[in-house]
Amino acid sequence: MIEKTFLIIIQAVFLVILAPLISGIIHKLKNNLRMRKGASVFQPYYNFVKLIAKDEVISRNTSWIFRATPVIVLGSVFCVCFLLPVLHKSFFLGPLGDMLAVIFVFSLGRFFLALAALDAAGSFGGMGSSREVFIASFAEPATLVSIFVLGLNCGSLSPSAVASLEGWRFSSLLCGSALGMVALAETARIPVDNQETHLELTMVHEAMVLEYSGRSLALLELAAHIKQIIFFTILSWVFFPCPVNAVWGWAWFIIKLCIISVFVAVTEISLAKMRLFRVLDYLGFAFLIAILSAVFALIGM
Amino acid sequence: MLRIEEELKSQKIEIIESERIHSDELYLTVNKEDFKTACLSLHKLLKSAVIMFFAEDMRAQSKVFRIYCVFLDTQNHSWVVVRTDLSEDALLFSSLAKDIYSASIFEREIKEMFGIMPQGCPDLRRLRLHDEVWPEGFYPLRKDSVLPKICAFLGSYQFRRVEGNGVFEVGVGPVHAGIIGPGHFRFSVVGEPIINLELRLGWTHRGIEKLLEGKDIFAGVKIFECISGDTAFGYSSAYCQAIEKILKVNIPLRAQYLRVIFLEFERIYNHINSLGGIALDVGFSFPAQFASLIKERLLQLHERISGSRYLKGINTVGGVQVDIEDNKAEIIRKSIFGIQKDILELEKMLYSSTSFMDRVDSTGILRKKTAQDLGVTGLAARSSGIALDMRKVFGGIYEKFTFNIIAEQAGDVCSRMKVRFWEIKESLGLINQGLEKLKSVVGTSGVAGGLPGGGEARSLDGVGIGCVEAWRGMLRVWCRIDKEGRIIRCKIVDPSFHNWEGLSFAALGNIIPDFPLCNKSFDLSYAGNDL
Repeated sequence: MIEKTFLIIIQAVFLVILAPLISGIIHKLKNNLRMRKGASVFQPYYNFVKLIAKDEVISRNTSWIFRATPVIVLGSVFCVCFLLPVLHKSFFLGPLGDMLAVIFVFSLGRFFLALAALDAAGSFGGMGSSREVFIASFAEPATLVSIFVLGLNCGSLSPSAVASLEGWRFSSLLCGSALGMVALAETARIPVDNQETHLELTMVHEAMVLEYSGRSLALLELAAHIKQIIFFTILSWVFFPCPVNAVWGWAWFIIKLCIISVFVAVTEISLAKMRLFRVLDYLGFAFLIAILSAVFALIGM
Repeated sequence: MLRIEEELKSQKIEIIESERIHSDELYLTVNKEDFKTACLSLHKLLKSAVIMFFAEDMRAQSKVFRIYCVFLDTQNHSWVVVRTDLSEDALLFSSLAKDIYSASIFEREIKEMFGIMPQGCPDLRRLRLHDEVWPEGFYPLRKDSVLPKICAFLGSYQFRRVEGNGVFEVGVGPVHAGIIGPGHFRFSVVGEPIINLELRLGWTHRGIEKLLEGKDIFAGVKIFECISGDTAFGYSSAYCQAIEKILKVNIPLRAQYLRVIFLEFERIYNHINSLGGIALDVGFSFPAQFASLIKERLLQLHERISGSRYLKGINTVGGVQVDIEDNKAEIIRKSIFGIQKDILELEKMLYSSTSFMDRVDSTGILRKKTAQDLGVTGLAARSSGIALDMRKVFGGIYEKFTFNIIAEQAGDVCSRMKVRFWEIKESLGLINQGLEKLKSVVGTSGVAGGLPGGGEARSLDGVGIGCVEAWRGMLRVWCRIDKEGRIIRCKIVDPSFHNWEGLSFAALGNIIPDFPLCNKSFDLSYAGNDL
């Protein structure tokens, strides 16, 4: 029992350490695809080290929410790391929560981030919050329905059951694509948001963290990396279902994530960011696909 | 021309003096009382916005301030200038702003720089000398103005306010995240849609017009090249054109061709840059990078043929200093061939992307009537259905070239993009034609023509208007020089001056995240506007 707990902690730390690398890989791939050299894949780690050593500037007009938010956001995604079996299907704290808990713990972080962005009373923060909540209100239904479909297919909402999906089923692939579309929105990527933009008026996620600097920013960025790797992990279960072997599990896992990263990078390069209100169509479409996959799951496809 | 004078006489306006100073400049002197009616009837007759409207301190010569209002007569290919004298003890004139909107920012400028009061002007806020810094009563363009000792006054600027339930203000700038100039944008929004946008510019005001006073005409070229870095050649051409008119210099044919070629080079590289910027602003990064690659190749080509990436140091009064010899012409031909292919590639890339076209289509619409009222010029005007191009109006050397201008009707970001692509192709054609024509004038009298009569050249004084169709639009320079060849007063109007106003109307009704896209599709100059 103690050994297992130890392994679960190791697995969570592994996810946290790996998370920035995935962002670095996507960034590098994007730059190479558009004929640029690009920064090293380890750049997100350098950024983290740089920011964590810096002092921060906090507006005099902010309340405790502003200061607590980075910890709450990072804490919430870190919790989720314990709920997911990544290296082996038994490595997770099962009784603590199922797949629904994953979604709602994310919502906790989002709620606080939206509040904190309003806290500093900057005009960009307010715009960022309102857009983020607008997007989330359409992303969540699609995510929920997709997760239920996965549950239907596996007979349980337990992460371990979802992680040990065997073989492809039409309905799970369909809800996987809905989940993929939502993942782009949740990770602030084109076509919903643009992480690289310098245009403060167009930002969504970036606008919310605009007031943050130094250590707090480092924590928030790390949280965003971890959230991304968690979404990609769930996608990898759906799209690359293969039995997880405890010894080589980590290698398989990294390979799967790299394949997903390539997909994300290519998508980001080949699309323009959509108009803000067009996101409604996009996420509405994801929701429809998810509903459709539920129908297919019910008729046993 | 008689038409104009008859029209004015029918309005019972007494023309004190009617003088055709140059073949394309008609100056009508009227009484102060008739100034407004004269301007209004010309505005109606010529269907022209106020092209330039400025004052001149002539107290040294005749104890008066003189104000000039310039209109464009496209039918007769001529400028029509109405001028009147204001005596020192009554520095006011009746404002045109309520009848001609395009005059309003000029009147603000006259008030701010000379302290001459446009009576009845609804908006007298300062444009460039911000109240936070400069004291009341400091009028820098008066000849006797003295720089105030302390420059920190806690005045403030009044923005138009929109009030109501759920209306809030979003202020952006003057410092922006990108490497662009400084400008403050004040949005009034309800949720995301913009219901009012007000621009506050002037942060890069360097006092160019004051700086030019007293400068030698040759030194003026260097200053003009630095007014707006991306239009270095356009500015120096407009200035040289004005001075050459005054000095009655005919520049060699070869130099005229070279000016055409370099001006088109400037147009191409800037249009490519804007197109890349449009793609970048909607997060479509591959074409954006591709465009910057094409731009860089063009800049390197400029450096190879002229020694300057941004086409500086080419123009001089009386001609150009850089020749395109046969071997350089060959280099240009070769590079242009490759660049042309890449531009077609870029065009295909952008037009075939649904997600990109969805962003640009019907975004940031500037209606034709609005554009006309505001006096919007150049590319922005041509995208809103106003087919006005100075190269066609004044012809000159361009009469020997074949090229077409296009006017899109929709006035959205997509139209501005289409017009850019069209103009790039036409410019490439112009360059090719220019290179052909250069062959025919080989060996004749070089490129930089001497000034007439050697040293005596400088004995001419007077005024003149220089105007080129730079890549953004109509770039206007009015200049007065004295007998020693020094600039006495110089008025510069960048196309951005009116086009910024156009942008503030084009953005209305769009959502805030689409504003950067609208902005980039106009691609206006902060430095050129602020002077």
